[in-house]
Amino acid sequence: MNLRIAARLAIARIIATKTRSGLTMLGIIIGVMSLIALVSVAQGATSGIQDQFKGLGARNLTISGNTTESLTIEDASEIAKLPGIDVVSEQVSGNATASSENASTRIRVIGVDVDYETIVEPDIFAGTFLANTDFAQDSRTIVLSSALATSLKVDASIINETISVGSTEFTVIGILDDANGFGNQGTAYVPLQTAFRYFAVPPYLNTITVQTTSEELVPLVTTNLSRLLSSRHNITGDRDADFTITDASQLLDAIGTVQQFLSLLLGGIASISLVVGGIGIMNIMLVSVRERTREIGIRRAIGAQQSQILTQFLIEAIVLSLLGGIIGVIIGEIVAYFLATLGQWNFALSPTMILASLGFSMLVGVLFGVWPARTAARLKPVEALRFE
Amino acid sequence: MAAVVEMSKVSKTFGDGTSIIRALDGVDLKIEKGEFVAIVGPSGSGKSTMMNLIGCLDRPSNGVVKIAGEDLSMLNDKKLTELRNYAIGFIFQSFFLLPKTTALENVATPLLYRGVHSKEAKKKALSMLKKLGMSDRATHGPTELSGGQQQRVAIARALVTEPSLILADEPTGALDSATGKQVMDLLTELNQEGITIVLITHDLDVAKRAKRRISLKDGKIISDTKGAA
Repeated sequence: MNLRIAARLAIARIIATKTRSGLTMLGIIIGVMSLIALVSVAQGATSGIQDQFKGLGARNLTISGNTTESLTIEDASEIAKLPGIDVVSEQVSGNATASSENASTRIRVIGVDVDYETIVEPDIFAGTFLANTDFAQDSRTIVLSSALATSLKVDASIINETISVGSTEFTVIGILDDANGFGNQGTAYVPLQTAFRYFAVPPYLNTITVQTTSEELVPLVTTNLSRLLSSRHNITGDRDADFTITDASQLLDAIGTVQQFLSLLLGGIASISLVVGGIGIMNIMLVSVRERTREIGIRRAIGAQQSQILTQFLIEAIVLSLLGGIIGVIIGEIVAYFLATLGQWNFALSPTMILASLGFSMLVGVLFGVWPARTAARLKPVEALRFE
Repeated sequence: MAAVVEMSKVSKTFGDGTSIIRALDGVDLKIEKGEFVAIVGPSGSGKSTMMNLIGCLDRPSNGVVKIAGEDLSMLNDKKLTELRNYAIGFIFQSFFLLPKTTALENVATPLLYRGVHSKEAKKKALSMLKKLGMSDRATHGPTELSGGQQQRVAIARALVTEPSLILADEPTGALDSATGKQVMDLLTELNQEGITIVLITHDLDVAKRAKRRISLKDGKIISDTKGAA
């Protein structure tokens, strides 16, 4: 009896016991479904962030001060003299309490210069970003992150109205569309000089962002920056640098690591349910072997070899788990598609992931089917025939 | 030519130590091709053990059992299974058709187990069902057939492999007397065509239909008579 006949027997058996087979498969279906859905969430969500960074960050370098008094305005103007640099933007930040008519919250105020918009290209939800006139007059204008607008319970109608930050009134000129970004919670942007007046102490800067003339120059500029700042800050020998230079590739690497970790973590959790599903299959197969003891006896009497009985039951377990796997993949991809729509990241079918899921569920069928199948094959024909 | 069944000094014991049960005790027996033999005896006489040995389902504790010339004690499980498939056609009291399987598939199954191609097996199965007047029930499952019809399908399954002998264990035990008579008529007919039949029964009326009757008691043959009873 070849595999094809064994497979047909198994499918006939599964159809004949629909309810039981369905419930048995449920464990595998849920396992594979969560595996597909969770891993696609992990990949979709992080690849969205990756794309954002790729879009705007490849030529950018960020220099952060390790203390509040590490970087200065003079550092920034010296950096601007280095070759291969297009734009240098200075940022400073401070904390304050912001209040609208509806709510108040602690916020982080970031003072940015005129070049910030060039480098970061922020998306605007309503109004405008800080414009040249705001910088020229060091005006009390402010742009809110979308998260902050939510916290303050204000919407687009706040544009050109005022909120108070600390003890000063600021005119809101824009709200950012940065719902997918991170680290922007409760953040507001004001002109650099305004920030120095109300929230920070000159000449110290928190960050200097540099845009190189081309992506290829990033490593070279990084080295030059490091050398320049080390000499300006008297960093010699084993003294630790008081600044950190980050470029997009490091961020991308970090996100990639997060993505891998998330995929493994979520995939691992889903795999546990797949294994539980396998135990369900084993359980039902053992019950089935017991119930069908006499059938096994008849088959053995009319000439079924042990190996043929083993194959029959093993195939049945594999078909159960593989069928569960296929249904799980379909449902999982549908769930992943809806989650992608909801989370606004790209949905992509991953053949590797699908094949891996199917392979894994088949493996579960083999692993948890072997014991029941061996039990069936090893029944003694005489005893099996007499079994009531 | 070798006898279909050949037993010499066959003993079969179960258990060990003080609780030893001697199911067969020094049995000598020879059944030739074309015979119609009934093995009779009350329960506990060793009938079932005899059936298991003739059916190649078990091996003797002592002595030699040869079925179709093969010494059972010399065969491993695989060879013993092969011998069952090729040499024995089983007919059981409760028919023992495979559940949720059509008459045709039931009859074809022994052929599939010996590696006959599915198409060929079904063709042979169908012609055997036809021979037994069951071809119009080929696609019916066991639950859709009467007892007599089920036993006919079982007989077709036993015959389809062209075995050395048909081993029938109380073939009429689960049937009413009219249907039982029909099944016995069929077996008689098959024997007239030259098929060897070994019948295990406790029913003396059924045993009378055989040409030879062997009575067992306490694991020993107490009589062996030939000719009409």
